[in-house]
Amino acid sequence: MIVPMGVVLGLSAVLFGIGVFGFLARRNVILMLVSTEIMLNAVNLSLAGFSRYLDDPSGQILALFVIAVAAAEAGVGLGLVIALNRNKPGAGPADLTELKW
Amino acid sequence: MTSLTAQAAFYSMAVASVASALLAVTRKNPVHSMLWVLALFLHVAGIFLLLDAEFLAVVQVIVYAGAILIFYLFVLMLLDLPGEVGRPRFGRHWPLAAAAGLSFGALAWLARFGTPAKDGVDAAGEAARAATERSPRGGLADIGLELFGPFALPFEIASLVLLAAIIGAVVLARRRAAGS
Repeated sequence: MIVPMGVVLGLSAVLFGIGVFGFLARRNVILMLVSTEIMLNAVNLSLAGFSRYLDDPSGQILALFVIAVAAAEAGVGLGLVIALNRNKPGAGPADLTELKW
Repeated sequence: MTSLTAQAAFYSMAVASVASALLAVTRKNPVHSMLWVLALFLHVAGIFLLLDAEFLAVVQVIVYAGAILIFYLFVLMLLDLPGEVGRPRFGRHWPLAAAAGLSFGALAWLARFGTPAKDGVDAAGEAARAATERSPRGGLADIGLELFGPFALPFEIASLVLLAAIIGAVVLARRRAAGS
């Protein structure tokens, strides 16, 4: 193994923290969704690392499922963004306080 | 590849991925953010390669960088880009968000010392492989055997999830017929 497992987990932790910050701080729905993708990528990184360290391909399978769910999430999330943009052009997450419009 | 070049490649890609993730969440222009996320995905694919996860690296490039990100870029065209650049990029609560991200990252960073990875797992995995003198499991053949063996049912359910997502996206994004 080229680097210790702790290094991979640390990189994954840093990327996940950046994703959390982006999701909470950005005020554009699409960029919030992209921050979610950054977090999912961080998790995939640690899954691939564990798969390599424990010498077990299950980690990679799990990462593949995470990618499939990420694709589903992107489809539904962006469908919501399109619907939102049609009903309230230019609305950000701060405007969505009434659950109904 | 010798161990030293592999290590240098890993650390340079780690630094580059952290930098592009930071740039992605802080750039004002959403298109620039997307391009930095693309750089992040490609660097993570490189790290997958170094972790002997070739199939995952290919899927990362094709599905993530190729399909999902392009989809995001297309939807981004709906935005009023000049107006978006003119508005503040963060909400007023961004210091709180930074604190949350930092504390989560720090917690996960600390948690990695709790894993036995430093010696136990590391050494056990390496010893097991050295004993059998085989290449690490996780190649394409191993993944295929796992995917259509023990993971066959979850694999089929994943296709159901994707189908539900397709139908949901079409229903959500469909233009309502006049009068309804």
